[in-house]
Amino acid sequence: MSRFLFLVREALTNLKRNLLVVAGAVLAVFISLSLAFGALVVNEVLRVNTLAWQDGVHVIAFLNDENSAGVSAGAHQALISEVETWEEVETVAYFDKNDAWIEFQRIFEGQDDLLDIDPTILPASIRIELIEIEFHNSVQFRLEQQTPVVREVNTAAEEIEQLQNLSSVLNVLGLGMAIVLGMSAVVLIANTIRLAIYARRDEVAVMKLVGASNWFIRVPFLLEGMIEGLLGAALAVFTVWLGSSRLADATQSFELFRLDVANQFFFQWGLLFLIFGALAGVIGSLLGLSRYLRDAEGVGDDIPGGV
Amino acid sequence: MIRLENVTKVYEGGTVAANNVSLEIQKGEFVFLVGASGSGKSTLIRLMLRDEPVTRGTIWVAGKDITTLPKWKIPYLRRSVGTVFQDYKLLPNKTVNENVAFALEVLGRPASAIKPQVEQVLDLVGLADKGERYPRQLSGGEQQRVSVARSFVNRPPIMLCDEPTGNLDPKTSVGIMKLLDRINRTGTTIVMATHDHAIVDAMKRRVVALEDGNVTRDELAAGYERRTEE
Repeated sequence: MSRFLFLVREALTNLKRNLLVVAGAVLAVFISLSLAFGALVVNEVLRVNTLAWQDGVHVIAFLNDENSAGVSAGAHQALISEVETWEEVETVAYFDKNDAWIEFQRIFEGQDDLLDIDPTILPASIRIELIEIEFHNSVQFRLEQQTPVVREVNTAAEEIEQLQNLSSVLNVLGLGMAIVLGMSAVVLIANTIRLAIYARRDEVAVMKLVGASNWFIRVPFLLEGMIEGLLGAALAVFTVWLGSSRLADATQSFELFRLDVANQFFFQWGLLFLIFGALAGVIGSLLGLSRYLRDAEGVGDDIPGGV
Repeated sequence: MIRLENVTKVYEGGTVAANNVSLEIQKGEFVFLVGASGSGKSTLIRLMLRDEPVTRGTIWVAGKDITTLPKWKIPYLRRSVGTVFQDYKLLPNKTVNENVAFALEVLGRPASAIKPQVEQVLDLVGLADKGERYPRQLSGGEQQRVSVARSFVNRPPIMLCDEPTGNLDPKTSVGIMKLLDRINRTGTTIVMATHDHAIVDAMKRRVVALEDGNVTRDELAAGYERRTEE
């Protein structure tokens, strides 16, 4: 235990001694992971909004009133019964004229000039949830054939599909960015550790002289890299969380687009990013150490300028 | 305690620093390696510390063949061999106490055991009141005493000293030699490379003379120069 504490103390002392170099490495991890984490959050915002917009409804068919425009009594129910048999359709819900008026009042609440209309002009509708969003074209086509009962078919499916595609692209982009930027963070940490070893070559030589094992020499450097990675990752997670929640607060009045992301998401992904940051730090340190400590037996010859 | 069997060391470029050297050093002996600069004294010290590999031959230290020692075991060898160098090799950003304690900390000794051991060894080298100073605040002689304290704090059975008085004035050198003599009297085997005539002549210990990597003389209770026939 005392040995571990000694190594931690050494690592912290060394971090303090090379503040500028350490700040560089932390900044590199911070920038890399902020971008990757930011992409992930944007992706999550898109996902949440896509779900919200869908609200389970993919296609709406507005219907002509029964007993008018050639629509016989019972035609609405007949249409529902038929649509329910279609294999692309998951559920069908009927909105009569009264439901339409209630919804209208909800949407335009407080806008009295809009609410001053004759409720009977609002059409009844059927709202369809599809088994797969890709089926929207064929369902739309089939509904449009149902004249005269179907007056108009509206679908947000195309937009939702586009958003889903964008989300997939962002997923790949985010992953690619995380890999490339993560690698650059590893390389930067490796460089920092290499500089730290160079700055402390005399110390390393003395450690070897008094019989320190290579692992004993490595551990403070590994801890340094890990702390740098953790700090960078923690800063990135915190900054993205702060930015995202501030943006969500500022845009709370937006009705069409929600920018708030669940804290659970930040907690789970933040934890993963912290682990990734720590791992990147350890891997970077190992890379930085490999050149100077690999198979070293001399007390200074393997370290340029060593004693 | 230390045995060299036909040890040869040839550096890149063909310089022969040790040529078929055979030597046996008993437990508790004090041996001077003497010779001009480039004669191979320091190389022998480095070979015994496995700081460099031999080209040919075998070196036994404390009953172990260190020429075939796997690299991961080298630290264990160095824990049983104290070393003192001309340039002290102290850590400038650590105090005297911390420099000496460092040798025990790398061995994983508990802090409770380190403190009394450091106090004891600093008392032995006469620096009990300077534990909180940094190396830059000490004279050359005092820095070398710290170096001796660090190499002895672990009570190693062997100490290898490479020109430990090389940077010191004669009076300070005598102080360091007295200290090494005291350590030797505790049973520690000491091998010291030097070209300081006065010290070797005054100590009258075993002298191994080297010239171009060859052992040219190996005498007990000897002086720096070969005894002339009376």
